[in-house]
Order: sequence, then C-alpha cells, then structure tokens
Amino acid sequence: MRFPKSIRWRLQLWYGALLVAVLCGFGFTAFHFEKARRFRRIDEELQVRVAALVVALRSTNRPVPSNEPDSGTPSQPGRQRAPGTPPLGELRLTPQQSALFGDGAEHYFAVWLREKEPVLRSPNAPENIPQPQSRDAAVRTRGKFRESFIFSAPVDCVLVGRSIAVEESELQKFAAVLAAIGGAVLAAGMIGGWWLATRAIKPVDDITATAEKIAAGDLSQRISTAETDSELGRLAAVLNATFKRLDAAFAQQGRFTADAAHELRTPVSVLLTQTQSCLARERPAAEYRETIEACQRAAQRMRGLIESLLELARIDAGQEPLRREGCDLSKIAADCVELIRPLAAKRGITIDADLSATPCRCDVGRIAQVVTNILANAIEYNRDGGCVRIATARTNGTVVLTVHNTGPGISVADLRHIFERFHRADKARTAGHAGLGLAIAQAIVQAHGGSISAASEPGADATFTVCLPA
Amino acid sequence: MRILIVEDEPDLLRGLARSLREEGYAVDTAADGEDGLFKAVEVNYDAVVLDVMLPRLDGWEVLRRLREKRKTPVLLLTARDRSADRVRGLDTGADDYLVKPFDLPELLARLRALIRRSASEVRSVIEIGDVAVDIAARAVSQKRKPVVLTAREYSLVEFLTLHRGEVVTRTQLYEHLFDENDDSLSNLLDVHVSNVRKKLGHDFIATRRGHGYCIEG
Repeated sequence: MRFPKSIRWRLQLWYGALLVAVLCGFGFTAFHFEKARRFRRIDEELQVRVAALVVALRSTNRPVPSNEPDSGTPSQPGRQRAPGTPPLGELRLTPQQSALFGDGAEHYFAVWLREKEPVLRSPNAPENIPQPQSRDAAVRTRGKFRESFIFSAPVDCVLVGRSIAVEESELQKFAAVLAAIGGAVLAAGMIGGWWLATRAIKPVDDITATAEKIAAGDLSQRISTAETDSELGRLAAVLNATFKRLDAAFAQQGRFTADAAHELRTPVSVLLTQTQSCLARERPAAEYRETIEACQRAAQRMRGLIESLLELARIDAGQEPLRREGCDLSKIAADCVELIRPLAAKRGITIDADLSATPCRCDVGRIAQVVTNILANAIEYNRDGGCVRIATARTNGTVVLTVHNTGPGISVADLRHIFERFHRADKARTAGHAGLGLAIAQAIVQAHGGSISAASEPGADATFTVCLPA
Repeated sequence: MRILIVEDEPDLLRGLARSLREEGYAVDTAADGEDGLFKAVEVNYDAVVLDVMLPRLDGWEVLRRLREKRKTPVLLLTARDRSADRVRGLDTGADDYLVKPFDLPELLARLRALIRRSASEVRSVIEIGDVAVDIAARAVSQKRKPVVLTAREYSLVEFLTLHRGEVVTRTQLYEHLFDENDDSLSNLLDVHVSNVRKKLGHDFIATRRGHGYCIEG
C-alpha cells in the first residue's frame, strides 16, 4: 500500500493539513491579540507618564516664586526659554508623579530640546536613546524597550520608555504554551482522523475482500450490509444485486450447458449401441440398412438440437440484428398453418384459423419460426383428434396472436417453467424434440420488444398469446 | 438368462435388445415406466436394464416400486452423470449404474457381473468335474477342449451352473431362458437338455423326476 494511493492516507494528509492550517491561524491570532493587549497596556502606562512629565515640565518652566516651599517642583535656573539654551537644569517631580516612575526604576524618561542629546534624562535611562524623528507615531519599540513620546512645549520632545524584556519572555512562554496545545490538538486530531478514516474505509475493505472472493470464483459470496442507508450500504446493496444476477446467470449457463450435453447423450448412445451391435458380426443387408436408418435418425436429432442451440446463442448474443420490415402477421400465420397441417393431420388434429389483417413491422423469418414453434407445441401436447385454433387481432398499438389447443392442458408447475430452455412436460424423450421450441419463441418475441404468455388449467385447454408492437 | 430392457428411445431399445439376444439372453422390452414395472414385477428376470428418464413413470419410481416386491439386479442407464444422481440411483436400490453414452461391451460386461453376483458367484470361470464354464467368454470347455454349444444350450448350462447343487424346475428354466416372444417350438426344453447331454456327457445334467434338472456342484 503506497500511501499516496491509499484513500485513507490521502484523507489523513488532507485532514492533517487542514488541522495544521486551522491551528496555526488560531495560534497566531491568539498570540497577536495577547501581544497587542499587553502593548496597549504598556502604551497606556507610558502615555500616562508622558503626560505627567509634560505637566511637570510645564509647571517647572512656569515663572514661579523660587522660594515656593510646598510646590515640590524643582526650581529651574533658566526661567525663560531661549532658543539654543537649555531651559531645564533640573526637573522636579511631585511625589505623585515620582510614584509613577517608581523606585524600581522601571520607567525611564528623556527630554530633548533641539539637540540630539537629551537635555534631561532619568538616571535609569539607557545610553544613547535616539531622538524620535517621526511626528506621526506616538510609540515605538526599540530593541527591548517600548517608548512613548510626544512633541510638546515647553520642550521639543518628551519620551518615556520601559523595558519589555519581561513581557517578551512572557509572550514567548505564551507562544510555547500555544504551540504545545496546538501540537496536542493536532496529535489527538490525527489519531481521531485515522480512526474515523479506518472506520469509514472498513466497509470498502469488506467490499474489496468479498469482491476478491467472487473474482476467485466463489459467486455465492455476498457483502454483509449492516447499515443499509449509508452511501456504502447502498453501494453494497447494488453490488450484491449485481453478484446475485451474475450468480444466477452463471447457474443458468451451467444448467443450460449440462442440459445441452444431456440432450446429446441419448442420440450418441443410439449411434454407439447401434453401430457396436451391428459390427459385432456379419449381417444380412436388411439389418445393415436398419442400423444405418437408426443412425440417421440419431444424427438428424443431433442436427436439430445443434440448430436450436445455435439459434438461441445467436439471439442471446444479438449478433444477427432483426430484419424488421412491414408485413402482415396474419399472412405469416397462414403460411405456417399450411406448413404444419400435415403434422396435425397425422394425429387427426384440425387447425381452425381466424386470421384478420394485422399489419406490423417484424422480422418475417423469425416470427414465422415463433408461430411454427407454438403450433408444433399445440399439436404435440394435444389429444388425438383434437383441435387447434389460431387467431390474430389488433388492439391499440399491438398485434396479438393467440394459439388455443385442446388437450391435457398444462400443470401449474409446468406453466411456471414452460418457457425455460430444455423444459419438457413429460420429462422423457418420446417427443423427439429437446424442449427448446418455446424458449426460442420467447427469445425472438422479446427481441422484438413483445411478450409471450401461456395460460391453462390442468386437464383443460391451453392458450398461448403473443403480443408484438405494431 | 432373461433380461428386461426399459428404454423409451426406440432405436436404442432395438439396438440393445438385438445385442443382448445375440449374446444368448432372452430379452423382453418395455418402452415406458408403467409397462416396465408391470413386467419386472410379473417375471423373475435375471437382470433389468432401466433408463431413468421414462414417460408415464420415471426410472426412480419404477426402481422404488420394484424393490418393494423383488430383488432383481437392476442396471440403471441415465444421461445424468452428476455424482448426486449416481448416489441417488444406488441408494434407491440400483445394483449398478451406467452413464449415457456407454460402450456396448461395457454394458454387457456389467450385466454379466450383475448376474454372477446375484448368484453369489465371484469367479467368472466355474469348474464342474472336467467341464469348465467361462461366464465372461460365454464358452464351455471339457478337458481343456472347447465344446461348441448354441446360445440357448449355453444359457441352459450357465443357468444350471450358477444354480448348481439346486434342483431347477422346468418353470424356472422356461422363465429364465425364453423371452415373451419365443414361440412354442423354440422353447422345447427337453431338446436342449438332450443336446447338452450329447455334447458334455449324459451325467452332466441329472434329471429329478417330477421336480426338474440339476447339476451337482
């Protein structure tokens, strides 16, 4: 089982890929939301401090009495802003503002005038903080620091920053947790997927196993269909029906072959017995003649059987298409009646014909054979001195031929099998035919798209009806 | 030996009957099951050749009903060669089974074997004094020299040999040596007995006055 060819593996691959995509999407989204949330909080902290710092700077630069004791604001040497002059020597923060910057020196600040170097910076501020250039953004991430700034009077730029190393390591941990959860979900999903795929594929495996047994020749095998309503259940039902028909067809073929062989055994027995008996000693000419006549009868019987078998095989194979032509069924029937009259006369059977014009399109030769076979049957299974009535009629779109004969009738058991090949009511060979006549008739009629049926009551008369499309 | 053939195919029936008659059997024939059963029950045949597919009454039924009355050896003839059919035939009471198409020599050999077995005889050459009767070859020799017998004479010797030590009545002999078509002239039993005595010695067949004939084993 090369896995790219196996449906189960392909399902698994697709399933895995989908799961990975979904998990990645979910993981990234979760990670970015978390990151954004944390940065927003940091930014808010920073902005609060920037604002406080600006307020502090402004109050520091306001001309205030230098001896104001409780202002808490640092006194500045330069009270007046002058370009190029550092206005701030010292920044005094209120305790409230100082608290914002805390003792741990988590937050730092830097203040620029026009110079590149900050004029004022907290002691914990990292070295070389570049002066913010962009006037659009209010925050930036620089390496391991997050900084918020504002371009505001009285100075040029005020920046407050803090380290985000802790946040980053927490985010990394969060990412690791997400990855671990994702991995676990993926593993569980793949196992579940494999189980599901195995379950889904199992009926297919069953079907394959059964089909293999059937291919090996055991036509009696069937797929067990526990679930009948699922797609595979329906497939199994369809396959089972196919197998059943195949089985029946094979059985019928086997029976047909056996019957055909059986039918040939008797004439061959006659040939063998007659010739071996005859050749056992010298005989007068009359006895040789008798033997040869017996052999001739056996050979003619075999010829008849072979012709019937070939006829059936031809119809079954559909090799010779019907030569449909416009004709009159009543004319065909009339010809057949004339041909068969001598056979009927031998047993004192009369044939009454009630033939009305019934134009239709059919293969004249084949339909004549149908009529002859039915008539021969009606004569054979008749009582001596009996009667056969043949009639044609036309009803909407259909031409109907009925052959009615007196006689012993057909038993219910025989009626069911009467059109089967090699079926004979008397089971013996006295009739001198093989029991193929009605089977051939049925095959021809069905090839025409028509139908043939028999009706009878035991001990009463029998009627055969042939319907053909007009 | 008298044999009944029940077979509905007339040419096969005629061929079989001719061959069996030429083998020295007395042969009766029946063309359907009813007639066959009637004859098989009425006459004590030495063997019956019975076709399975018969009109009126099939071979199985004939065999079943015959077995209720008689133990006559039956050789079934059939076109069915499935093992199930053979089993059914043998289980119904057939003594042997032959599938069509068969070879005539095989049928004759099987019939001889059937008749021999029904007489509880396992050998095919039976020696009585200096006379040897070869049932397989249908020949009789005395002191290793072949003796020429007519078919009727041979049948008489064979029947008495297979029943040696018993007294065989004239009725039995009539029943087994002559078929239903033999006219009264050909079944003059005394003439045949006298001819056999001329050829094999007067003491070969003993007469039990008022009972019949006997060959001492």
